[in-house]
Amino acid sequence: MSQHKKGLVASFQYLDDFCDAIKSIKGKPEFRGHEIYSPTSYHELMEHAEDTMGPSQVRWFTLVGALTGVTAGFGMCLLLDYDWPIVVGGKTAGIYSLPAYFIFGFEVMVLLGAIATITGMLFMGRLPNPRSWVLHPRITDDRFVIFVPDVMADGDEAQLLREFGAEEVYGV
Amino acid sequence: MSDLVAWDKTISDVNEGILVGLKKPHPAFYVALSISIVCMLLGAVCWGILITYGMGMAGLNNPVYWGVLITDFVFWVGIGHAGTLISAILFLFRAKWRNSINRSAEAMTVFAVITAGLFPLIHVGRVWVAAYWMLPLPNTHNIWVNFRSPLMWDVFAISTYLTVSLLFWYMGLVPDLASMRDRVKGFKRIVFNFMSFGWTGSLRQWHHYETGYGFLAALATPLVLSVHSIVSWDFAMSMQPGWHTTIFPPYFVAGAILSGCAMVYSLVLPLRWMFHLEGFIRKEHLEALIKLTLLTSTIVAYAYGVEFFVAWYSGNEYEWAIFQKRAAGPYAFYFWVMVACNCVFPLLFWSRRLRTNPTVCFIVCLLVNVGMWFERYNIIISSLVEDFLPSAWGHYEPTWIEMGITLGSFGWFFTWLLIFCRFFPLVSMSELKLIMPKPLRRKAGGH
Repeated sequence: MSQHKKGLVASFQYLDDFCDAIKSIKGKPEFRGHEIYSPTSYHELMEHAEDTMGPSQVRWFTLVGALTGVTAGFGMCLLLDYDWPIVVGGKTAGIYSLPAYFIFGFEVMVLLGAIATITGMLFMGRLPNPRSWVLHPRITDDRFVIFVPDVMADGDEAQLLREFGAEEVYGV
Repeated sequence: MSDLVAWDKTISDVNEGILVGLKKPHPAFYVALSISIVCMLLGAVCWGILITYGMGMAGLNNPVYWGVLITDFVFWVGIGHAGTLISAILFLFRAKWRNSINRSAEAMTVFAVITAGLFPLIHVGRVWVAAYWMLPLPNTHNIWVNFRSPLMWDVFAISTYLTVSLLFWYMGLVPDLASMRDRVKGFKRIVFNFMSFGWTGSLRQWHHYETGYGFLAALATPLVLSVHSIVSWDFAMSMQPGWHTTIFPPYFVAGAILSGCAMVYSLVLPLRWMFHLEGFIRKEHLEALIKLTLLTSTIVAYAYGVEFFVAWYSGNEYEWAIFQKRAAGPYAFYFWVMVACNCVFPLLFWSRRLRTNPTVCFIVCLLVNVGMWFERYNIIISSLVEDFLPSAWGHYEPTWIEMGITLGSFGWFFTWLLIFCRFFPLVSMSELKLIMPKPLRRKAGGH
């Protein structure tokens, strides 16, 4: 999040205008470091995110969490069973009862995998951010916004965004 | 499905329409909340009596050591299943209609599983020591819990399910909490900003959010199937006639989804009226839910038939005797209520005219919920009353304490659900926008 940075804010009402604008400014040096905001995750924007940022690294959080979970689930059963073996109905403890422990391995895998996924979503999204700065009051409603840092609102960049259909262009 | 919806609203109407409705619910909301609180308090009094005077206040006896309290447990766990089905499984299948009802289904799941989690605690009687029986905690006996017990599997399954459902539900709420933040000022804004983690809607955040949401759905999908399978193993792993059958896991999962879908409909229909959401939860979405209810009803009917067939075909006379007595014995009333409510009444939904009639659908969905409660009662009680030896045969009738606790569980569930609906959007605003017409200048074009 561009916390209290100076720059240019351009808001769009229409998704197609907005997509044209972000395609056009992609890679241009005068728009370096620009940020994009949307009320929801339209697939056009998600494709653009994939192109510019690559695949999300959240998957690695999920993988590590799930592997930790499956190890912890099986480990808990085995260690506690070897610590004090309980033989019930002739079923001996430890590795001979492994089929029953699949339940724990699976459940703890899902549990830690989910917690790690949430952690990854927050960490990679740079959240929590209690000092977040709302650039435009309708981003979470129905407006699409481009923020370009260190650019004046009366420059060529602003004019280009207006040509693409920006309904408001102002400096912050 | 939702591609065919004739929307008369745009994405610009979503936040305004849904959040304004929150402020002025229909007066019936307060009546419903008051009734729920009274029922909850009644249940609390009954639980207090049970704790004070002991488990003798319940109708449990030898051989019926599981009764209405365990019936309630299985019923509420089942109710909780549709939330994850709609949120996770339908998300992976890209069923767009789920976007208008997934929030209410997720809220239902969370509160239903919390309600379910109370019943093992109530059932053990001395609730203050239940943690030592249910969790692998160090204790003075220096022994650990039995990891080979299905009851212990259930503890881990339910607690994992509750945690994952809570995470899934809350992460879905985050963008909407930011929307609420952006409409208020002062202290409320600080609170909503804290609750939304300072969400800004940047592409970076959406990118990782969408990926994480997909992974959560992928993790929750096998989880939802495992949880009710594990609940069924509470019964199927025993040698009890009527319980010891391999069909139980899919049979329980199908039943859970049936009861959950019916409960979602029973909740969403009055709530969308109370909170003026008719423009967002469309009749096409409700019809899709009814079709899913019909589908699961046919699966459940098939499972009932197969269960009977296997009992006869197995040649096990104890098993077959239990099934004959279920249909024609002292508990036959419960059996036929179950069959009528779960297999017969939903057949009305084959008629398009009836499945698009909200009154008919509401009544049938309520009957399905009654039927699913009776299914669990039927499975638990009719199997336990007659063991292998006639000397171990008995009878069970629930006491008013057990029924009071059951009523209280409905009060508890509805109280929390209604409080949630009063303060938070019942429809996922950010996800609803995805199934509405895109805001395009070039209507025929787009991307």
